[in-house]
Amino acid sequence: MKKGVIVGLLVAAVSFGAGTYFGRGSKQDLTISSSTQGASYSGGFKPEGVATTPGAAIRSVAGPAPANVVVVKDGESIQAAIKASPPGTIVRVMPGTYHETVYIDKDDIRIIGVIEAGRRAVLDGRKQLNDAILYSGNNFVAENLEIRNYKGNGIMGQAGNNFEIRNNLIADSGVYGIFPQLGKNGIVEHNVVSGIADAAIYIGMSDNILVAHNDVFDSVAGIEIENSRHAIVEHNYVHNNSGGLLAFVTPGLPIKDTVDVIFRNNFVVGNNHPNFGAPGSTVSGIPAGTGILVMAADDVVIEGNVISENKVAGLIITDHAHAQNITADPESEPNSDRVKILDNVMLRNGYDTITEAKALLLAEGKVGAKNLDIVRVGPSPGSCIINRHQYVTVGVSDFSECEFTNTAATVNYLLPPVPPREIKPGERGKVVYLGICTGCHTYNGRMIGPPVQVIQALYMDNPQGLADFIARPVKKRPDYPEMPPQDYLDPETRLAVAQYMLQVTN
Amino acid sequence: MRISNERAAAPGRRSRRIAFTAWLGTVLLIYGSGCFAADGDKLFAQCAACHGTRGEGNATFNAPAIAGQDAAYLERQLRNFRNRRRGVDKSDVPGAQMQAAALATLADDAAIAKVASYAANLPKTINASPAPGNLHNGNNLYQGKCGACHGGAAEGNPALNAPRLAGLDAPYIKRQFAHFRNGVRGTDPQDTPGRQMAMMAKTLPSERDLDDIIAFIHRQGRPK
Repeated sequence: MKKGVIVGLLVAAVSFGAGTYFGRGSKQDLTISSSTQGASYSGGFKPEGVATTPGAAIRSVAGPAPANVVVVKDGESIQAAIKASPPGTIVRVMPGTYHETVYIDKDDIRIIGVIEAGRRAVLDGRKQLNDAILYSGNNFVAENLEIRNYKGNGIMGQAGNNFEIRNNLIADSGVYGIFPQLGKNGIVEHNVVSGIADAAIYIGMSDNILVAHNDVFDSVAGIEIENSRHAIVEHNYVHNNSGGLLAFVTPGLPIKDTVDVIFRNNFVVGNNHPNFGAPGSTVSGIPAGTGILVMAADDVVIEGNVISENKVAGLIITDHAHAQNITADPESEPNSDRVKILDNVMLRNGYDTITEAKALLLAEGKVGAKNLDIVRVGPSPGSCIINRHQYVTVGVSDFSECEFTNTAATVNYLLPPVPPREIKPGERGKVVYLGICTGCHTYNGRMIGPPVQVIQALYMDNPQGLADFIARPVKKRPDYPEMPPQDYLDPETRLAVAQYMLQVTN
Repeated sequence: MRISNERAAAPGRRSRRIAFTAWLGTVLLIYGSGCFAADGDKLFAQCAACHGTRGEGNATFNAPAIAGQDAAYLERQLRNFRNRRRGVDKSDVPGAQMQAAALATLADDAAIAKVASYAANLPKTINASPAPGNLHNGNNLYQGKCGACHGGAAEGNPALNAPRLAGLDAPYIKRQFAHFRNGVRGTDPQDTPGRQMAMMAKTLPSERDLDDIIAFIHRQGRPK
């Protein structure tokens, strides 16, 4: 008797659900928009005196090229040349192999590789050195280099503004290939980056960025825009990574939001590489087979991309609560607000998707769906989409129609050279923390290194111990990458940043 | 007279002593390092009454699993009990019991080292029925708060003085966590690892989060 009642109730519930779904489906008319007509997205950034027409667009941000030129030949040291040069120097690096880490703390330095019949200047870390290039100077340019076999970063920026990183070949170089951290006004273009254990191109806590025409593959995350504002990612070829394009808010970083990112006209193809990020780390939470991932980022526009053959989904939109290996940050708004999905070509995505996505498909009555283009989980208020009928979707039925169909009116977000970041006296520790430490350590989560909260517990009353450790780190955690030595910072700076790190509260 | 008698008896005793030493030497040669394990074995018999014959722990007696636990951690805790750094607070009744047991059965640091080494070499155990909880939340919080010291799979990390958590029962973890959070454990200036844990214990949002973390911990180190 009891069983009969339950079965009856179940049948009633399913019929009601199906009726509601199919009833709604048949009533809804298709809204068809043309992306070549209709209004254009005006963007989230309106600088004064900057051109908004393509012909007058800014394509260079580092200012006029310096007149002073030095040449480094095979067998010589790039670092020695930079040390000997005044600010405002072009360092031409001839073809050859250079085993070194290059630090640039002067402004207006340009390291330009000379390519002769395909032979490049190769920086080779031999899997012993941590970083190829670390720059903290402003108006920095790196071009035409080949970077291989480093353990940490290919090129990392530490609070330098107006940077241009182009035409470089970077392979198997640790956790980040190209990683401008805490920079404003920068270009990353025409680079070929592969074999990176976290993000091949990682824009961290930066503003006004253009990432264009890069070929990015065989990495865990392809191009990642993280805790950054006003970035355009366009015309890139992003293939065979675990996740292709990502707009993220990583909780526990000093900059709390990601706002205004345009992903347009990229090829996002076959990003099905097994995820080889360190287990438990944020990046290892990306499901292998993700074309584009939006997590807690606001005002992300997705337009004109060819998104195909990504086995989990073409586009995943999520909040912090649903994401794997993420610890919430009370100061970060956890939802992906105002996502805008315009016309894209989506083909054969989601052919081997994850259980959670299958359950969502079932819940929406999409039984037997062989593909999945767009998945949304968690709240995503204010989001919109056009021509939704062309995609296989879950979770976007409450998205409104966008009031625009293209982003043609937003050329880019670049600026004429901006002034260097202002560092007040006594803020040295803070700037180093933001510019260097938070590249790998968040306050309360596992990014690359242990969380800052844990470091605070371990070194609670011993800043000098921490300062000594970062100069000569010892590997203590078998499942974490080795911490690179920070001995290029002077002892006072190391102590200042240790003191700062031990007292931050988020 | 008596003195001379004793002296007269002395050569016989000496020869017996020599014979005994020779025998002991032979035994030592035969059993090699097993001799020390046998010593630890004897000492461990006292622990087994509460902690179980396999060191698997017994929640009924508030006794945690100690089999396969890091030897340095066990030694440190046993010394903390003996030195009245742990098990002192009135609210910690099981701790007081353990303190009494440690004082009664372990004569010195050498005995502590032997029994700790014995327990550390026992095969690791797991909880028969893992605690329930939200594994998604448990994983995320574990990775963010615990894993950096206790290891990605709750296996412990001697380099950071962090014990294995995977085999510990839920009531024990919850009790110790509350002790760290509430200033019962990890307050002695000499107990640096305890103070480190106490600082972390104060950062967890809620008791339910702890349940989820324990659910995650209980799923580590199990055969798949």
